Amino acid sequence: MAINDKKIDLSIKLGSVSLKNPIMTASGTCGYVDELEDFLDINQLGGYITKSITIQPRLGNDVPRIVETDSGMLNAIGLANIGVEKFMQEKVPLMEHYKTPFFVNIAGREITDYIAVAEKLAKCKQIAGMELNISCPNVKQGGITFGTDPALVKQITCEVKKVVGDKILIVKLTPNVTNISTIAKIAVDCGADALSLINTFTAMVIDIETRKPVLANRTGGLSGPAIKPIAVYLVNKVYNEVAKPAGIPLIGGGGIRTASDAIEFIIAGATAVTIGTSSFINPDCSIKIIDGINGYCERHNVSSIAELTGSLK
Amino acid sequence: MTNHTAKKGIFKASVLQNRLLGDKFFRLTLEVEKKAKTVFSKSNPGQFAEIEVSSLALPPENAIPPQFADASKRNVILRRPFSFADIMVSEDNVILEILYMIVGAATVRMKTLKTGDKVSLIGPLGNGFSFSDDKKAALLVAGGMGAPPLVHLAGFMKEKYPNTDIVVFVGTKSVSDLAFFDIKFDKFDKKKIKLGEFEKHNIQTHISTDDGSAGTKGFVTEVLKKWIIENKPDINNTIMYACGPDRMLHASAAVSSEFKIPCQVSLERRMACGTGLCQSCAVKCVDKNTGDNFYKLCCKDGPVFWADEVVWQ
Repeated sequence: MAINDKKIDLSIKLGSVSLKNPIMTASGTCGYVDELEDFLDINQLGGYITKSITIQPRLGNDVPRIVETDSGMLNAIGLANIGVEKFMQEKVPLMEHYKTPFFVNIAGREITDYIAVAEKLAKCKQIAGMELNISCPNVKQGGITFGTDPALVKQITCEVKKVVGDKILIVKLTPNVTNISTIAKIAVDCGADALSLINTFTAMVIDIETRKPVLANRTGGLSGPAIKPIAVYLVNKVYNEVAKPAGIPLIGGGGIRTASDAIEFIIAGATAVTIGTSSFINPDCSIKIIDGINGYCERHNVSSIAELTGSLK
Repeated sequence: MTNHTAKKGIFKASVLQNRLLGDKFFRLTLEVEKKAKTVFSKSNPGQFAEIEVSSLALPPENAIPPQFADASKRNVILRRPFSFADIMVSEDNVILEILYMIVGAATVRMKTLKTGDKVSLIGPLGNGFSFSDDKKAALLVAGGMGAPPLVHLAGFMKEKYPNTDIVVFVGTKSVSDLAFFDIKFDKFDKKKIKLGEFEKHNIQTHISTDDGSAGTKGFVTEVLKKWIIENKPDINNTIMYACGPDRMLHASAAVSSEFKIPCQVSLERRMACGTGLCQSCAVKCVDKNTGDNFYKLCCKDGPVFWADEVVWQ
């Protein structure tokens, strides 16, 4: 499929890393490296954000781990992953088969866990950057507890920034805070090269027959089209209050299914966008979204996608 | 053990028929097109497909069963997994048969599918059952809506493994729950019924219902156990294949372990994607050497597992 034959410049930059288009996979929805390969050509993606990697392997939560909701779903996977050592042995070498830049999402229970994972990954030439997951709502320790506490955001971002070497550092923000811009500003002040928003909303579904929560973890993170308008609003807010003044790019996401959805985020202030829950339903949708963005740019005489970022009137 | 797994993809299929069976079951007959023909003609019993349902309309209000009135209000986004009750391959076409029951927001929409409609399906997914030439007898144990993949399995084995004797055990709550089978009632005794799908292959079939409205009164696993005691199959060349609710599979696993007959079980779990991306359909397994517990994914590593590798809860 010819993706970009209309000479529209879809390329963008996240810090020092160039992406040929703004479409990225969202962490936790696309596996480690090559799991989407049966459905799409990974080389056509702008960037690839892996699932969360922790210092030790994690089994994840008990089932049920998901439940569908109105136009969305809750998940409480619990950061199930093979751990950084195995990830570096088995998965990182696979990245060499692709031209697309890879960004590894990192998580942990303690700040020292994040630092240890980042130190190891900093040595992998196949990796373009790291995304700091301080926003997972589904683990008892770490995750969201970091992302909602300004002092911890400061400490963790500053400490990890010291060890990432030449990799860019993306900080992924939770919407479960009173003022997301406060947290965004701290992350930028501590050296984040880009911000990614939003992670899921903490939510609950109750089985009224048993009067128990459906998820084994009781609560989960709400994602999908249901959260899109809130995500667009938060991207626009952080763009105006933090990212634009600081000149830091935003990676926007939350319920994107179509090119129209992606363009909304870009107009709101996102430089790149992530496709998450939609990959579960249509694992090839990222490619269709790239096609659709091209069509939109053509119709609106946009010669470079970068012009569109933050063009909200 | 041989496994006949084929490569997966996203395909379009045309609805040939969507027929009501009894008062709650439907037989959906789909014809796959182009490349999908090759892929599905090679798929293995026990594999499944994820059907896109978010684009399907609701039936008119008067056609929605009252018990699903609330559920049907919810907007559905995720695909739904279905195993195949049969895959018919001829020179001209490949036809998939799916049996489903109305259970909620998605299946109530599927009711509206009509001849000529196109649906999107991802498949064939998972690994399906595995086989070995040296088995003289196969005991197929079906509980309720777990029966469809075993209908496929029985037909498949008759063709590919003609030297294996098949004995089928089917259990449901009541005779009305057998409505998706091609039932032939005895002229004189309504409780004596035959199932056309197995009878056409000359397969010995034992039916049981919880309320005794057809066949033997009691659980299918009790009938199975009694049969094993009476018939004393050679455990070295007998295999069990079971599909149904977890509790019934747990009981099958117990029979398998008591009589030392190896048993494969096909499990059902909540899935968002079916392709290994979301990690939600975790199945707790045990490492036979170390005794450690770990998770496999029902969609990718299963849905068929060895009964003795699953941690039954």
